[in-house]
Amino acid sequence: MDSSHAAPAAAHAPGGGHATVQTYIRVAVVLGLLTAIEIGALYVPGIPSRALVALLLVFSVLKFGLVVAFFMHLRYDNKLLTVLFVGPLIIAMAIILAIMALFGAYILLARG
Amino acid sequence: MAAEHAAVAHDPNIGCTGLDHRKMGMWAFLGSECMFFGSLIGTYLAYKGKSINGPGPHEILNIPLTSLSAFVLLMSSLLMVLALAAVQRNDMKWGKIWLFTTALFGAGFVGFQIFEFTHFVHLGLTLQTNLFGSTFFVLTGFHGAHVTGGVIWLLSLWVLALRGRLGPQDSLKVEICGLYWHFVDIVWIAIFTLIYLIP
Repeated sequence: MDSSHAAPAAAHAPGGGHATVQTYIRVAVVLGLLTAIEIGALYVPGIPSRALVALLLVFSVLKFGLVVAFFMHLRYDNKLLTVLFVGPLIIAMAIILAIMALFGAYILLARG
Repeated sequence: MAAEHAAVAHDPNIGCTGLDHRKMGMWAFLGSECMFFGSLIGTYLAYKGKSINGPGPHEILNIPLTSLSAFVLLMSSLLMVLALAAVQRNDMKWGKIWLFTTALFGAGFVGFQIFEFTHFVHLGLTLQTNLFGSTFFVLTGFHGAHVTGGVIWLLSLWVLALRGRLGPQDSLKVEICGLYWHFVDIVWIAIFTLIYLIP
C-alpha cells in the first residue's frame, strides 16, 4: 500500500474523527506482540498459576481497549457513544460475576 | 458555513444529539451484544470444571491452532480499518482489496472453527456430552455465527464496490460494518483468553 495515501485524521461525520493509517498499523503490531507474549507465557515453566491468570487477563483487557479505542474510534468519537457501549459492558461484567457467584465464585482459577 | 449547518440540520440521519442515528443504533446494538456474550461467558465459567465425564478442555483444546486463528481474526481488524481509510479517501481500488481480504480472513477463521468443531466431535465431544461440551459449543458457535454474518456483510459491501455503488459518500456504511467486525474481534479476545489460555 502506498503510504502517501495515508488517511488524514479528519472528521468524517458529526462528532467523529479517525486515526491515521500509520497509527492503525502501530496498534496492530502492539496487538500482535501482546498475543505472542500471552501464548509464549503458557510455555514458560515455573510461572505461578495466579500470576499467569493475572497476566493473561491484563493483556486481554489491554487488547480489548486498544481495538475499541483505535479501531472502533471511540477515542476520537463522541462521548455519548462511549456511554452507550461502556454502560452495557459494565452490566455484562456484572452478569458474569453474578453467574459465577451463584455457581461458585472461584471456578475461574480452578484447573479443569 | 451557514449552508453546511443547514445541510446537517436537514439530514434525516442526524438526530438531536448531532450524531448519525445509524451509528448510534449500531453502538446500542453492540452494547446489547456485550450482555448477550457476557451471559454465555458467565455460564461457561460457572460450569468450568463441573463436568462429571470427559473429555475436558485440557484434553481436547488445541492452543497452537486456535492461536493462529485468533491471530488471523485480530489482523482482519487491521484490514478492516485499512478498508475504511481507503474508502474515505476515495481510493476504491484498495478499498475493494481490503474489504475482500477482511472477508477472506474472516472466512479463514470460520474455516478453522469448522475444522475444530469437526475434530472435537470425532474425539467424542458433542453438545450433549457434558457441561463443557454444551457451554463451549454454544458460546463459540454463537461467536462463529456472528463472524459468518460479518463475512456476508463484508462481501455485500465488496460487491457494491465492484459495481461502483460504494464511494466515499458511503463511508459510514463501511464504518458501521467495521464496528460490528471489530466487536466480533474483541469478543474473541475475551473468549480466547478465558477459554483457551487460562489453564
